[in-house]
Amino acid sequence: MKTVIAALAAGLALAACHEIPQDAAKPYAGKEDVKPYAGDLFKGDKQKFEQALAARADHENEYLRTHDAKQ
Amino acid sequence: MARMKFICDAERCIECNSCTTACKNEHEVPWGVNRRRLVTLNDGVPGERSISVACMHCTDAPCMAVCPVDCFYRTDDEIVLHDKDLCIGCGYCYYACPFGAPQFPQAGAFGLRGKMDKCTYCAGGPEENNSVEEFRKYGRNRIAEGKLPLCAEMCSTKALIAGDSAVIAKIYKTRVVTRGKGEQLWGWKTAYGGSDKVSDNLGAKA
Repeated sequence: MKTVIAALAAGLALAACHEIPQDAAKPYAGKEDVKPYAGDLFKGDKQKFEQALAARADHENEYLRTHDAKQ
Repeated sequence: MARMKFICDAERCIECNSCTTACKNEHEVPWGVNRRRLVTLNDGVPGERSISVACMHCTDAPCMAVCPVDCFYRTDDEIVLHDKDLCIGCGYCYYACPFGAPQFPQAGAFGLRGKMDKCTYCAGGPEENNSVEEFRKYGRNRIAEGKLPLCAEMCSTKALIAGDSAVIAKIYKTRVVTRGKGEQLWGWKTAYGGSDKVSDNLGAKA
């Protein structure tokens, strides 16, 4: 009996010690969005889509374009 | 999958406002709504700094956390978007955002707010890609065309760069290493680095 009471008391005492995650994923209640690579241009080819974006990003690096970077 | 972000290099930004103009024009953003704007510190004082600010598409977005109708979602590329059909214009996201990104068009008298509008990273919203409806609500979807946000692509000094966080962090690192550091760096050299050739320096005699 004492053990049960002690377990219950310990359970109650430690009840406030847990941590609620602050960054828990919230549900999205809106419409589902289609993938950006689903259109006619990429026809669902995710790799081609990522390569296109990576090429555009590299174009922002003028040191790469002019071969003038000190790595 | 990529994690799409913006970086604004304060050493390069010349406050030309081409990013804000490009954004306004590309998406036909209405009066009173500024998806992107320039912030200048110590304006007019030598050493002033400007940065271009819009939605930073936070990894742990506070707007998403406070939205009472859960209208925010994150794409596979970690772009934070929202559904305008669901938004009630409560303004909680505006108070939560540390960058002042959520904007509200005036929808009526007495300051009645319309549905929230913000930078979409040129990725549109939850409508059919590049449809008339998507353009009307969210602006053009350049990401679906394999292009990066126009603000970054139009930036004249490439102060504002956009893309996968790993890629743009590498670009920025290359820049910092190339231009060097120290008090002797000023103006052109601060942004682009010095040259070993005297003739390349500004003000050098031909």
